[in-house]
Amino acid sequence: MTDLAIRCSDAHVNYLVRSNRQLIRSMIRGQKPEVRVIEAVKGVTFDVDVGESVGVIGPNGSGKTSLLQAMTGLLPLNKGEILVKSVPTFLGVQAVLRPQLTGWRNIQLGLLAQGLNKSEAEDMTNSVADFCELDDFLDLPMETFSSGMKARLHFAVATALAPDILLIDEALAVGDRSFQKKSSERLKEHRSKAGTILLVSHNLEEVRQSCQRVIWLENGVVVADGPADDVIEAYETS
Amino acid sequence: MDLLKVGESLSLSEYLKRLWTHRHFMMRVPLEDLRAQNSHTFLGSIWLVLNPLLQVGVYFLVFGLIMPIDRGVDQYLVFLTIGVFVFFHSQRVISESTRSLVINVGLIRTVHFPRAVLPISATVGQALAFIPIFIVMTVVVLAYGNWPHLRWLLIFPVFIIQNAFSLGIGLIGARINHSYRDLENLLPFIFRLLFYISGVLYSVDSVVDDDFWRAIFLLNPMYCLVSLWRWVMVGTSAGGEVWLATGIWSLLALLIGLSAFRSKETTYGGTG
Repeated sequence: MTDLAIRCSDAHVNYLVRSNRQLIRSMIRGQKPEVRVIEAVKGVTFDVDVGESVGVIGPNGSGKTSLLQAMTGLLPLNKGEILVKSVPTFLGVQAVLRPQLTGWRNIQLGLLAQGLNKSEAEDMTNSVADFCELDDFLDLPMETFSSGMKARLHFAVATALAPDILLIDEALAVGDRSFQKKSSERLKEHRSKAGTILLVSHNLEEVRQSCQRVIWLENGVVVADGPADDVIEAYETS
Repeated sequence: MDLLKVGESLSLSEYLKRLWTHRHFMMRVPLEDLRAQNSHTFLGSIWLVLNPLLQVGVYFLVFGLIMPIDRGVDQYLVFLTIGVFVFFHSQRVISESTRSLVINVGLIRTVHFPRAVLPISATVGQALAFIPIFIVMTVVVLAYGNWPHLRWLLIFPVFIIQNAFSLGIGLIGARINHSYRDLENLLPFIFRLLFYISGVLYSVDSVVDDDFWRAIFLLNPMYCLVSLWRWVMVGTSAGGEVWLATGIWSLLALLIGLSAFRSKETTYGGTG
């Protein structure tokens, strides 16, 4: 019997949108301000085993990112529950640490933020820096980095501690080819050490290469969940 | 095999333990930010000292040379310097902790850590930035012939109490500001009002002489803090009731702040 890494049962995520104009108008009329509810994830259920690598695909606005963020405990669930083996690490494109600080200092901050102490972080900084291959750029403030360079640094920091569960949101797409290759190798290595990966991507080729299983989301519900090739084929022909 | 439920809040002891493991992070972030703050200026970190120095210079010019008033206070410049520096320190701790969640939303969405790390590290940052301010303040105190006194041993405890109070309020502020960004716009006005009613510019004792109103002033923690600092530095009278009031205020602020902050802990990466 394999161990469970993630159990997601009937997860619902709603966003509440307050409109300013409506707030003032409704106050004048003495009504309650109207709040729009946007249902991003509407009852998603699945299990992921330890060591599995699952791709999540679907059109824009289908709830992929919301689902991933709910798994980190970032977005509260409105219904249902998500159980995990340990708190997942989230890796997204918009991830910024401290733009004014140099790459080196951002690496150290990123490691400290994950709960390392000073000397552990010092020890690890060099290997993370080597992995990003940013060399002299690491001496520059991160605000001067290109998006690909930021993604490299962030990927290196997030995977440095080999988290049990890694959630990746389009973060690999911005890297160049050699870095994509390098990062997918690291993910493979990570999986072989019983790491679990959820990968959101619009790059179906990438998903096919790094995941055995794919979940297809649309309008916040699961359309299909199965072997990567089958689901991707169905998605492409839909 | 035990699974954790995502988004479930930790017990208080577990939370404090996690905060403790992040202590290196809490120290490093403000240090780096202080370094980065003045990195675009020609004089760099010298500004940390220059800033309070210029401030005292302006007071000296205005209240010492142009219109030498003392509002019934001995050594008005000393009185004013302590009042202003202490008040502004609390103001900065509270505003920076209040903004800390919003500023660091990128970090929150990226890395998992107890969110109280952010207001605490904002407080640590301001406490570090207070060191040069404190030195300037001490120089002013000495320059007017107030020699070091045994009371000075209480400087550090008073500073800790002040920061505990300000952090507590900042935690509440951060919690509110997360849902209602409006607070950020409102804060400067709240502090402006507090500034005038906390006896920063005048001696409360020379304005009120009945016990009822003096008790009312004790309800104002900023007044209490300013009074304590003046007593510690130059011996301006502050009775035991001021100590008591300040202690109660700090404890309450910290306890209420921490529980208010934690009640929304899991939502801080969201949209509010």
